[in-house]
Amino acid sequence: MGIALYEVRFHGRGGQGAVMAAQTLAEAAVIEGMHAQAFPYFGAERRGAPVTAFARIDERKISIKSQVYEPDLLVVLDETLLDVEPVARGLKADGRAVINTRRLPTEIDLGVEVECATVPATTIAMEHLKAPIVNTAILGAVVRMCALVSMESMREAIESRFGEKFGEAAARTNVAAAAMAYQQAAVGRCKGERPLSSREEWLPTWQEVPIGVALGEGVKGGVTVGPGGARRNLTGSWRVQTPRYDKGKCVRCLRCWFSCPEGCIKREEDDYVRWDLNYCKGCGICAQVCPAKAIAIIKGGQG
Amino acid sequence: MSVKVISGDHAVAYAAKLARTEVVPAFPITPQTLIVERLAEFINDGELDADFIPADSEHSAMSIAIGASAGGVRAFTATSSQGLALMHEMLYAVPQCRLPIVMANVNRSLGAAAGIWVEHNDSMAERDSGWLQVYVEDNQEALDATLMAFRLAEDRRVLLPVMVCLDGFILSHTVERVEVPGQEEVDRFLPRFEPCTVLDPAEPKLINPIVPPEYAMEMRYQLDRAVDRSREVIAEVDAGFGKAFGRSYGGLLDTYRLEDADFALLTLGTATGLARAAVDELRSEGKRAGLIKLRFMRPFPFQGLREKAEGLKALGVLDRSVSFNGGGPVYTEVAAALCNVPTIVTGHVAGIGGRDIAPDHMREMFALVERAARGERVRPVTWHGLRGEME
Repeated sequence: MGIALYEVRFHGRGGQGAVMAAQTLAEAAVIEGMHAQAFPYFGAERRGAPVTAFARIDERKISIKSQVYEPDLLVVLDETLLDVEPVARGLKADGRAVINTRRLPTEIDLGVEVECATVPATTIAMEHLKAPIVNTAILGAVVRMCALVSMESMREAIESRFGEKFGEAAARTNVAAAAMAYQQAAVGRCKGERPLSSREEWLPTWQEVPIGVALGEGVKGGVTVGPGGARRNLTGSWRVQTPRYDKGKCVRCLRCWFSCPEGCIKREEDDYVRWDLNYCKGCGICAQVCPAKAIAIIKGGQG
Repeated sequence: MSVKVISGDHAVAYAAKLARTEVVPAFPITPQTLIVERLAEFINDGELDADFIPADSEHSAMSIAIGASAGGVRAFTATSSQGLALMHEMLYAVPQCRLPIVMANVNRSLGAAAGIWVEHNDSMAERDSGWLQVYVEDNQEALDATLMAFRLAEDRRVLLPVMVCLDGFILSHTVERVEVPGQEEVDRFLPRFEPCTVLDPAEPKLINPIVPPEYAMEMRYQLDRAVDRSREVIAEVDAGFGKAFGRSYGGLLDTYRLEDADFALLTLGTATGLARAAVDELRSEGKRAGLIKLRFMRPFPFQGLREKAEGLKALGVLDRSVSFNGGGPVYTEVAAALCNVPTIVTGHVAGIGGRDIAPDHMREMFALVERAARGERVRPVTWHGLRGEME
């Protein structure tokens, strides 16, 4: 097939496999004899945090290495991102979108009205992979949405990438997830009514950046240089599961308090504990180390 | 030959494997680690017969590479940023000892302000160490340049270490279509390593002794000539590579749509790709824009540049590193090369600390160079993508 430069942007959360999805799409395009590239937004990867990945596909060799600012295709691996990130920023007016959701395209307000495929990728992933890693399921819907690559090439790309990294069984289940998503994807037009959500960012001019490299209180926004101080950047928002504490069962051994990698478990004077959910990322370590099973991990961001 | 969709780091690892590297001393550092991890896997899986030596620092890694190379085997290592800085002391021993070590440096900024992202100041700070330095544009070139680096380094007329520099993350962690040559093809291109000086217990000798003033100056000039002479060998190796694999890169520098250009930009590393696209855009508007892709920072193509710049009214130079209060190191070098020709040279600093060089920044650079070509006065050095007005 002949296509001019086609640019794709993936939005997901750390752990959902957005980067692998971008790489697999690129590999499928190369299998079809095209040129392709895929790369993540180069930040520190963190489970649950919003992540972005990019892919470019072209019949000709691709020379551009910049990030993708005006995508032809938007792939959203986590619907909740629509509320917290300007996901659709720059999406071309004749662009397309693929969204992981149980809702139909007409029920989704992306902020830009475009052709859209929706697919319950999380449900499909849970069924085939027993984990909410939605990258291969969403790729099935990508094939359905735009005739960039065939399902056959996608299957081959998934087998190659996942097979090499995780073994044959993983390759099989991921191929099955993609196939089911291809079947189940609903295609329509999404709504473009809401304004794109904006993230509050401190972007000082060079004159405004305080001298020295220091992270301190009292400086603008609690931060001098960097992506955001902890006061403003509530990392608990990345949480997709939440600890539930049963004080009656607690034996006050404080293992959870000692083991919490975020230091967000607070020790009370009587050695019972409480969580600062502003910063709890729901890693579940506290529940793992609790000898009395006083901590359970509940699905969802709210305890 | 096989087509793979791999990262720049893995492309380099494939090249080091295909070169039948015999010793890999390494210390991990982001964004280089994928290279030595992949090599460790190749060795573990029996695909590469080499010794992988985990070093306790980059200083030690380079020391081990020196020992291995002096011992008569092919040595390869990789590093980045602070790792390269920690090697600094040992780096200087390699060229004067004429040890053909090949090293990949995945460009990353030096702290502070600490970051893991691309900037060329790590390798630019080593440009006077005597190492040859090549900067690559994409993953295919990363693989090809690494293979060529061994042949260049080991050529008896050269016998110098080569640093293959690739942009952190933009290449190291981006997957692209890469043609990986077959082992037999590579074996034909790259002969077995024939060491010049070999440490041998049967014939004791001292390598790198203290050198008094009576000799040091002659040794330095000898090295200066060797670096200069490498220019011819680079052209030869590039042509030979083209014959063997169907891809060649122009040697020290390459050009794009430069023939009848009025103004051009000079780039190195991954920014080149975006500049190509910008040139196409400007040409479609009828503007006579061109591009010079600088591949080697050492040896620096002083003469080649003067030839290429002939007819250019203005040449902009893009630096992804800063030489404080002097623009960037590439700019000062190009300005020196063109000091006796009428071409106006402007400096452009962009992509610092990993900031994305967006299409708009590139357009802005070309627009400025075009103004200079029309005879307008522009700043000697402009920072692009900077928040806040320049002073």
